[in-house]
Amino acid sequence: MGLESKLGDSFITTTIDKVVNWGRKNSLWPMPFGTACCAIEMMATLATKFDLSRFGAEAIRFSPRQSDLMIVSGRISIKMMPVLRKIYDQMPEPKWVISMGACASCGGVFDTYTLVQGVDQFIPVDVYVPGCPPRPEDLIDAVMQIQKLIGDETVSVARMAKREEISQATLG
Amino acid sequence: MSEEQTDAEVVEPPEPIVIQQLRERFSDHILTVIDQRGELSVVVDKDASFQVLEFLKVDFNLSYDFLVDVTAIDYSQMEDVLIEYGYARYMVVYHLNAFLTNERLRVKVPVSEKDFTIKSVVALWNSANWLEREIYDMFGINFDGHPDLRRILMPDDFEGFPLRKDYPLRGRGEREKFNFGRENV
Amino acid sequence: MSKPVDRSTTGEPMTLSFGPQHPATHGTLRIVLELDGETVLKATPHLGYLHTGFEKLGEHLDYNQYIVVTDRMNYLSPLSNNFGYALAVEKLFGMELPKRGQYVRVIMAELSRIADHLIWLGTSALDLGAFSVFLYGFQQREKLYKIFEDTTGARLTTSYTRVGGLLRDLYPGFENDVRSFIRDFPKKLKEIHTLLTKNRIWMDRTKDVGQISSEYAINYGYTGPCLRATGVDRDLRKIEPYSSYDEFDFDVPVGSNGDAYDRYLVRMEEMIQSCRIVTQALDNLPDGPINVESHKISLPSKQETYGHIEGLIHHFKIIMDGHGIQPPVGEIYCATESPNGELGFYIVSDGSGTAYRVRVRPPSFFHFQAFDHLIRGGMVSDVVAVLGSLNIIAGELDR
Repeated sequence: MGLESKLGDSFITTTIDKVVNWGRKNSLWPMPFGTACCAIEMMATLATKFDLSRFGAEAIRFSPRQSDLMIVSGRISIKMMPVLRKIYDQMPEPKWVISMGACASCGGVFDTYTLVQGVDQFIPVDVYVPGCPPRPEDLIDAVMQIQKLIGDETVSVARMAKREEISQATLG
Repeated sequence: MSEEQTDAEVVEPPEPIVIQQLRERFSDHILTVIDQRGELSVVVDKDASFQVLEFLKVDFNLSYDFLVDVTAIDYSQMEDVLIEYGYARYMVVYHLNAFLTNERLRVKVPVSEKDFTIKSVVALWNSANWLEREIYDMFGINFDGHPDLRRILMPDDFEGFPLRKDYPLRGRGEREKFNFGRENV
Repeated sequence: MSKPVDRSTTGEPMTLSFGPQHPATHGTLRIVLELDGETVLKATPHLGYLHTGFEKLGEHLDYNQYIVVTDRMNYLSPLSNNFGYALAVEKLFGMELPKRGQYVRVIMAELSRIADHLIWLGTSALDLGAFSVFLYGFQQREKLYKIFEDTTGARLTTSYTRVGGLLRDLYPGFENDVRSFIRDFPKKLKEIHTLLTKNRIWMDRTKDVGQISSEYAINYGYTGPCLRATGVDRDLRKIEPYSSYDEFDFDVPVGSNGDAYDRYLVRMEEMIQSCRIVTQALDNLPDGPINVESHKISLPSKQETYGHIEGLIHHFKIIMDGHGIQPPVGEIYCATESPNGELGFYIVSDGSGTAYRVRVRPPSFFHFQAFDHLIRGGMVSDVVAVLGSLNIIAGELDR
């Protein structure tokens, strides 16, 4: 652009959105809400062979207040659901949710009295990962999908308000 | 060996020592003895269940000192069992194991809905504590003398007893309706 | 002159809710701790956060469908659960597998014991701050995942056994893969030994922590490595050999102290013993069928199903709803030595295609029950060490 030609090579111009999103998507801090089998595959994703840190998301934080990506991996029972909701509420905005595996997404093979048939009834989910459990590659793909979503975000106040609105509507 | 002798042996196999001893002491309370697939089961009257288990544990020669498992069965859809035990709907099942001889024994105690309380065995085995709580949680059977009888797997405000046969697999809508304001989560 | 620090506190005991969302609870355990300063006065475990209704499902799924559910019980070692359940149903039928089937099951069960102990090792060390052990452990586990995937088609949820046999026979390169794993593994385990066994921090954190005497352990229903760490030599593979375990020569490691350190040593040695069993099973692996020769129970081959009417009928009878495999009326209790301890299945059959009642005896349930006994008087930081050393799997704890 014109400004850059005046200021020379050592300057670039960009938008606030782009800078912020670039920072956000390359340093996701996941909150692993791992309950069952999928948590083992999530551990495999973080370990040596698959190494999630290649995608900038290896800084696992078990405190919801320090994280921005929740990975719900495993079965969620009716006793666990209020806990999950509470932890989701404690995460600061902006936040994203991956529902990993069949059980978290729709109850999976467990169509029983005690299992929540899909956490998206109670918290907004951004990316679903199919599989029982999904392979580590699937989880990596989901993280990349989240990165893509973040790329489209904007930091403007109006958008944030809209996001809040959607989130409230989902929660009911 | 003549044929008559073999026949006699087949007809009357000697009862295991455990059963003989139990019959000696609790003759009135032993309802049935089943020896099936190499597993020995004794059905015992509810009034004597604690005494029988205590005897099995404490007796020096038997010493069934390891409580493997306690569970219950709802027999409401098995007509023949219901008839056999005077329409007692539930059966509490104890699995015992003797460490020294490594023999296993199953003790079954019928519990009818009219008198829904059975004596707790926590005094004999610490491991019975949670197992009995689980039975209370899943079947609603009460345990007399249990130190802390409350729900264990289901939430405290849950209604119904999931492992009863009349409780539907998919529940009664508990998994959709939520009380997020629940204390103590 | 310095005065000794007065550690007693005068205030009310503090209540600390530990979990269910906590890095050391491995998912969904919750313990309410009553503390005086940093000393634990009382620990009350709460469970049920992963209650899935496995036992209720057992009354609605047929015998082969339920194998899928057993995968998800102890998800560190699904093959052991598949094995235990299939064995239980076979006992109900009163049948035994051909030798090759039994040997293959033993190989897979022992490999999954190694895989289970590796995750336990990694996570319990991770909880105490030793991150590299977790990576070392997972590196080996990935090799096992490769073998499991090539054999069963899945990394984790294997569903490899069927009632009366196995999903399929081993793949051609299986023996080579396993032998190369067994060749490398003891060396890698030795590296972990050098990281932990004489490590001052590891010893301080685990020695004399979470101690339990053998009397209490028996009274609380302990089995498996946790019981053997207290000095009781009880291994179902030895005392009630199932699936040809009596044909293998292996030792049962036994501890003496019953603390977290002994549980660690016992499990480490068990992995080496599992390697021995696998090597022997590979050396003597018999040829022949893997499934029982009964078309009432095991599925006919594809050629037979597609090419012959009998094969098609047998296939139909086993697969279709309302038919399935139907064991005789009766009840059995069948226990196997899973990586965590005695995993028992108590199945009551009414003669139909689905079980009347399936009860699972999960080893973790008993280990967790004694938690208060193990931790009382200890420090808050010991909670993590003890929890890690018990290897409590929420899936089988809550079912």
